[in-house]
Amino acid sequence: MAYTRAHALLFLAPLLLIVLLMYGMMAWTVAVSMDDWVGMAPVWKFHGLGNFRTLLGGALRERLFTSLRNNLIWLVVFIAPTASLGLFLAYGLDLVGRAERVLRPLFLYPIALSFVVTGTLWAWMYDPDAGVINNLLRMIGLGRWAQPWIADPGLATFCLIGAAVWQYTGFAMTLYLAAIRDMPREIFEAARVDGASDVQTFRHVVIPNVGHATMIVVAMLILVTLKVFDLVWVMTFGGPGISTEVLPFFMFVATFRQQFIGIGAAISVLILILAVAVVVPYAWWSMRRLQA
Amino acid sequence: MKQPPSRQVWLACMGFLALLWLLPLYTMLANSLKTIREIAQSQYVLPPSGLELRNYVVALGVLRHGLVNSTLVALPATALAVLLGSWAGFFLSRLRFRYSQTVFFAATIATFLPYQIVLIPLTQLLADLRLINTRPGLIVAYVLLNTPMAALITATFFQTVPAEMQEAAALDGCGPVAFYWRILLPVAQLGLLSTAILIFTTIWNEFLIPTAMTQGTFNQLATPVLAGLKGNYAQLWHIQMAGATLTSLPPLVIFVFLGRYFVSGLMAGTLK
Repeated sequence: MAYTRAHALLFLAPLLLIVLLMYGMMAWTVAVSMDDWVGMAPVWKFHGLGNFRTLLGGALRERLFTSLRNNLIWLVVFIAPTASLGLFLAYGLDLVGRAERVLRPLFLYPIALSFVVTGTLWAWMYDPDAGVINNLLRMIGLGRWAQPWIADPGLATFCLIGAAVWQYTGFAMTLYLAAIRDMPREIFEAARVDGASDVQTFRHVVIPNVGHATMIVVAMLILVTLKVFDLVWVMTFGGPGISTEVLPFFMFVATFRQQFIGIGAAISVLILILAVAVVVPYAWWSMRRLQA
Repeated sequence: MKQPPSRQVWLACMGFLALLWLLPLYTMLANSLKTIREIAQSQYVLPPSGLELRNYVVALGVLRHGLVNSTLVALPATALAVLLGSWAGFFLSRLRFRYSQTVFFAATIATFLPYQIVLIPLTQLLADLRLINTRPGLIVAYVLLNTPMAALITATFFQTVPAEMQEAAALDGCGPVAFYWRILLPVAQLGLLSTAILIFTTIWNEFLIPTAMTQGTFNQLATPVLAGLKGNYAQLWHIQMAGATLTSLPPLVIFVFLGRYFVSGLMAGTLK
């Protein structure tokens, strides 16, 4: 029985064509980023690095740096709490015995929702006048803690991140729970026999053994921060002012609202550079593991 | 050995956090069933006094084209992406050749890069094909964007099928095409289900592509319509929540009834 070249072509051709097309489109984006294309129809007018100069040092500098700063805030403030809370919950689930079956989906279900649903829901949670959070605070007599939340430019990005933490903690938890379940049970037995408390076991047994899962969680969450768009669109539309704009949002507005296609492509290239720094090592690492 | 009392502490702590995590879902469902009068009283955490199903009628009036379009785009796009992807997944997992690793590597990068990077050329491509603002156009876009992912995940599921099975089939004169259709697909059907669930929910929940490529009530998918509904029904939380519930229904139903496969797809999607 022969596995011929024809079979190879038959099975692999669709993926190859699609992947080549995707890379072609990436190259196209890079080409457009060096063009002075404004308006709907393609304009091929070579502009060198002009778009990047406009973004990094010219008229759009302040706007770009607001987006970059917000992406940086997302990177720090979203990932650390999501990953650590996920790990904490995973360890908790491992300890509560059979209740795990009931509890696990209650933390994981938000990942099944669209960011648009999450945004609709949380925009209301955070509404300054008629929001659920302020309402709850007033109800339990903590009305002085009420905040303008997403209407406060200094607070708004953190509010968006709060919604994303809610959505992604269960995802991190599930990856960590799988990692904990993959550990040999004897380690936990040994720790218990040695009289280790839960906290000590967590610190000295669990944490050193979930590095692998942490790599996956962190890589995936970084990618979430590099494409966060829906949540910003739905909850604040970049506002108040431009205070919650992030690169993917700025890219969309520049391209599809203001029709500065060249500028939009240049922002895409910045996203590409940041994403490649994560995706290429991750792809390399996955390939080595799966093909080993 | 006696169970330490710490389990009770953990249980209480986890239970409390679970309630906190449920609060948004509860407020969504509870308030989607309240009357405008109840909403105006701002007692959002109280349960509804009755079942105001008219909210859903109003929300459905706005969302119905979007929900139909999302279904008619997500189902065929998922089927096509899983079919085309599983061919490559079969190849990558079973038939080693010199460039397997290169293909795998290239497909992984294409899978994980943010859509923004190909958004402008993709829009242009669909405009050139006169498919912009149509369902077939959205299907094409989603098949392109999801087939690499489908290939990688099906490859990881196919890898768990023992190699002996293929050798035995080959001895009986079963060629690769027959092996793929008659043996591999049936044996790996739960893996395929997980892959399909992941891709379907990804497409259903996606927002960027339809926002860039469609406009007008009749062509939009559910997510941009819901985003629009939020603007048009400002402060009318009961209508907004009914709309949000309708939009999240298909993925939530899958999550509740096919949870195991949802989770296994989610995990496989990270190439864990």
